[in-house]
Amino acid sequence: MVTGRQSVVCSGKYAVFTMLFLLLFSAGSAFAQDNPFGQITTDKGAGSLIRIAVANFKPISPDAGLGNYKQTFDTTLFNDLNSAGLFDIVSKDMLPQSTPGFPAELNLTQWSAAPANAAMVAFGNLNLQGNRLVVNGFLDDAHNTQFPQIFAKQYNEEASDDNARQIAHRFADEIIFRLGGGVSGIAETKIYYVKILGPNKEIYEMDYDGANQHAITHLGTVSLSPRVSPDNSRIAFSTLGRDGFQLKMFSLLLNRPVNFNSAGGTNLSPAWSPSGQQLAFSSSRTGDPEIWISDPEGNIAHKITAFRGPDVSPTWNPKTGAQIAWISGRSGLPQLYIMDADGSGITRLTDGGYATSPSWSPNGQFITFAWDRKYGPGAPGGQDIYIMEIASKKWIQLTHDGGRCDFPSWSPDGRHIVYANSPDGKADHTKIMSMLADGTQKKALTGPGADMPNWSWK
Amino acid sequence: MSAYATSPDEQNDRFGSGIAGAILLHALVVAAIIGWAAFNHFHNPTWGESAPQVGSIQASMVSAIPLPTKAPPVKDNVLTPDEVSKAAAPPPKEAAVAPPKDTDVLIKGKTPPVTKVAPAPTEAPPKHPQPVPVTPKANTGEQATQLPHSVTQLKNGTSTVTVQDRAFGNRYAYYLQLVARAVSQNYYPQEVDAQTSEGKSVKLLFDIQRDGTVLNLRIETRSGSSSLDTAALRSIQRIDNFAPLPAGDHLTIEDTFDYHKP
Repeated sequence: MVTGRQSVVCSGKYAVFTMLFLLLFSAGSAFAQDNPFGQITTDKGAGSLIRIAVANFKPISPDAGLGNYKQTFDTTLFNDLNSAGLFDIVSKDMLPQSTPGFPAELNLTQWSAAPANAAMVAFGNLNLQGNRLVVNGFLDDAHNTQFPQIFAKQYNEEASDDNARQIAHRFADEIIFRLGGGVSGIAETKIYYVKILGPNKEIYEMDYDGANQHAITHLGTVSLSPRVSPDNSRIAFSTLGRDGFQLKMFSLLLNRPVNFNSAGGTNLSPAWSPSGQQLAFSSSRTGDPEIWISDPEGNIAHKITAFRGPDVSPTWNPKTGAQIAWISGRSGLPQLYIMDADGSGITRLTDGGYATSPSWSPNGQFITFAWDRKYGPGAPGGQDIYIMEIASKKWIQLTHDGGRCDFPSWSPDGRHIVYANSPDGKADHTKIMSMLADGTQKKALTGPGADMPNWSWK
Repeated sequence: MSAYATSPDEQNDRFGSGIAGAILLHALVVAAIIGWAAFNHFHNPTWGESAPQVGSIQASMVSAIPLPTKAPPVKDNVLTPDEVSKAAAPPPKEAAVAPPKDTDVLIKGKTPPVTKVAPAPTEAPPKHPQPVPVTPKANTGEQATQLPHSVTQLKNGTSTVTVQDRAFGNRYAYYLQLVARAVSQNYYPQEVDAQTSEGKSVKLLFDIQRDGTVLNLRIETRSGSSSLDTAALRSIQRIDNFAPLPAGDHLTIEDTFDYHKP
């Protein structure tokens, strides 16, 4: 500062120097700008949730078997609404003593007052008519005493425990559809995953809540990365055969493998375009692993990346079908990139670390991916699930200190993410977890030995 | 060599040492500048280095920032005690003089007409079930009376969703709350310029179609703050879909954003 003042005093000759000094002094503070929009919001927390009370349904007929169905139905409905991420559910302990079966039996003030304080009440009745299970479900607005009813639905299915669960899923989906901003619920969706059976890995299917786990393929080899088509008719996956890893197609309608033309090299990680007419995948048929696009039979394959270094794990923008996010090692460690579906407009999204397995959110706004942000020996942290907003490249970390996490996949409603988690890092201990897209409500869907989940499109 | 010099001493005008001194001085100044710049450059922490957010942004998923509570007043402060010393008692009020009655002074022509009949007592209007929450109240008073509306507290103001169709609003009050909730979730208070004056208000109109999509979004009354107008518009534009309409072909929604300094 002394030098600066002297030059000012001396003469105009040093005016240039003075300016230079002032520039130097001021330059140091110019970087200290903070971001005024340092917030991504996918959910605004508990304050914006709808408080809903779920009454136990009333059994009408005195059949003994109805009790089991009622138990299944009540539990499933409560769990569906609880995991929807939209509701603040009234604990069953706080519900009024009465069990309303019909709108006339519902005393609204009892439900809207403390301790329930419900804004919405879901209730109804179950009935066994011969071999049919008939369920009437109602949703009422607890604060609107004049016109409480929001909707009423009747379900009539063959009586079975599985159908009781399906009816509960459908009733829950209807509530979520009416109250959740027109986005369909996910209670009827499926999750496809890889089951680790000793040395072999097979493709399995389960309901979104982890129930009803069963095998799809019986190939007796290693099958990886199942991806279900947007119309739920086929599964594409990669399987280890005589020619190395090749893509295979399995029809869920015919319940058998269908043709997919293979080529040389290692073919991995298929991804359906939202139209169902194209399949993007990684193939090393020309030597270097690149992203290829073909039709669902494996024909008219064409390469869309051409850069030295591996390119794997494509995923389409499900909203537009015009963009692909993928993982590329062109600059060293694998990083997350996006490009247009013709291979132009390449943008890098991550700035370091080790990024894998992206999945694009249904509304096109976010990408979730697994990321080891500080990769290397002795580096802190581990592989965790992240979300990035594509427009701003801002990200948030969803899992913390839970062990190695990988293979995130969005639910079709955009409110949930399913992923694989291995608490101790061992591959056989990997289990499938699901959470809300803001990282809350984590829960395990399977036991150890399940990996690479993929949420169906609807 | 100076041509006018008379002595060898004068002949030597010390040009050489002078220029050397000047060069040395300049060199010193330049060295000082470069040294200072280098010191500043290497010494200062580089961009985002030791900041708490390392090369990244901080994202928080909460809806409200838990502000620190106000510190309680310090009890035993000798210098500025809370107890104010007693001020002198105010002078006693003068006895109020009763205001003159109308009958005291007779003004010609102002006498009330005797023929007027007192209006018949009207029935109290039927109580409409109002959607909750009624508080906090927006300061757009003209619609706070009868039309079905739903007020949401935002971080920097309130959002009032009003529906002109009263029958719909009463029958499907829950739908109005769903709309208000969706709008407030998609409204980013950071987008509003902090210089916006207190009490500015923008009114939007839009139609919700049967399937929940938005049509004809427009500004009915501008607030005068373009950032507030844009933030309000964007809060609707961000929404892909509202819930499907429970009844009717379309629904016109009026949404008023009132700005209050956070």
